[in-house]
Amino acid sequence: MERFKVKLQLNGEAVELDVNPSETLLETLRDRLELTGAKDGCGLGACGSCTVLLNGLPTRSCIVLTAELDGSEVSTIESLADGTKPAPVQESFMEKGAVQCGFCTPGMILTAKGLLDRNSRPTKEEIIRSISSNLCRCTGYKKIVEAVEAASSTETPKT
Amino acid sequence: MITSKFEFRSPKDVEEAVRLYREFQGEAVYLSGGTDLVPRMKLGLEKPKAVIDLKRIVPLTTVEDQGDWIRIGPLARIFDLKQNDLVGDYFPALEASLEATSCESLQMRGTIGGNLLQNSRCLFYNQSEFWRRSKGFCLKMGGESCNAVPGAKTCFANYCSDNAPALCTLSAEIELSGPDEVRRLNLEELYTNKADKPFDLQPGEILTAIFVPKKKSIGGYEKLRVRGAIDYPLLSAAFSFVDGTGKLAIGAVGPKPYVVEMKQPSHDAIGEAVEVVLKQVRPVGNTVLDPDYRKRMIPVLAGRLINKVMEGAK
Repeated sequence: MERFKVKLQLNGEAVELDVNPSETLLETLRDRLELTGAKDGCGLGACGSCTVLLNGLPTRSCIVLTAELDGSEVSTIESLADGTKPAPVQESFMEKGAVQCGFCTPGMILTAKGLLDRNSRPTKEEIIRSISSNLCRCTGYKKIVEAVEAASSTETPKT
Repeated sequence: MITSKFEFRSPKDVEEAVRLYREFQGEAVYLSGGTDLVPRMKLGLEKPKAVIDLKRIVPLTTVEDQGDWIRIGPLARIFDLKQNDLVGDYFPALEASLEATSCESLQMRGTIGGNLLQNSRCLFYNQSEFWRRSKGFCLKMGGESCNAVPGAKTCFANYCSDNAPALCTLSAEIELSGPDEVRRLNLEELYTNKADKPFDLQPGEILTAIFVPKKKSIGGYEKLRVRGAIDYPLLSAAFSFVDGTGKLAIGAVGPKPYVVEMKQPSHDAIGEAVEVVLKQVRPVGNTVLDPDYRKRMIPVLAGRLINKVMEGAK
């Protein structure tokens, strides 16, 4: 089977990959690049635990083929913190206790980040609409919504 | 993991895409957003030799005001389309159906053409190959009989597009481009009324445009589902009122949207329209909800929707 060459801007760095055409972005990230922040949950695009930012938009990496992405920009949860300093949205999740088992958290944070980057002052309804893309089976969402609300007042709007 | 191995192609125009389809002798699939196709490949429901990605064909992604018609590129993303002013101003039923489609993240990936051409669904079909093999393949997988209604020789899978019922109430037309011809037909003519093969598509044909008559309408969309987000519809109702005529479409209870025209959306007319639909549908136990409940929700959803739309117009 032919291999497929893909150039990506991954977490701010240019990378060139040689992938199988049937490889998903999640497989590329986790198995090839050892970026295991995106989680392998349902594998069918339903749960959102594999969410990454693709050209700034929250995207389920388990149902995107890496071959589709030549020329795209991908940001994973690993890119958010500045060294050991968490991003404001990560701080908010910690402060509000919006984490229980943690499996959905990278996806939740990136979905929140995607929302805040395009709308730095979302209403509660807009937060709920965005966050309902991701399933959490522990927290009941209350703390997560509070965390995003708190982050919306501290997150620096994208320039 | 996708176990089947395929080649990947990224054509720049429709002609090249169709040519590639022929090159792979029909054992190719067209990829749009992938939110239906990639899970299907993971479950082994599709095992193509090639995946032809249509996303780099720019004219397929645009929305255009053509005067009498709005032309919607089938590769337009659900999320972009629901924020499009033309859609909001002219087609409230479509706008509501776009908002109700899945969830925000999947709307950012999924396209309206992909939503229309998503395959029909069944609790006994959208399962892993391991699961399906243990039960024996059903009609839709090439087996002898249905697994949802044991022994039946008819497939009962449901067509779960949210946007198709809305587009049917707006009298939308579609353009299909294939190896031999480009043809334009009413969206309602796309459906075979057979759930195992729901679309009347020729091999290699690509949905290249959706045309909606540019007429001001009032309308809406109601969707029955277990969760408020992500889920496919378990029943849906769309209604548009254009030029003094209403159209109701009921979805997700069979292989196509059931469309009924009504002159005046009076209480009696709604009852009559619902009767027409009820005579055609046979919901069975192939979703997470009881079929009898889904059937009894048809008049409820239709009545609620039409009354809300007509109240709003006063």
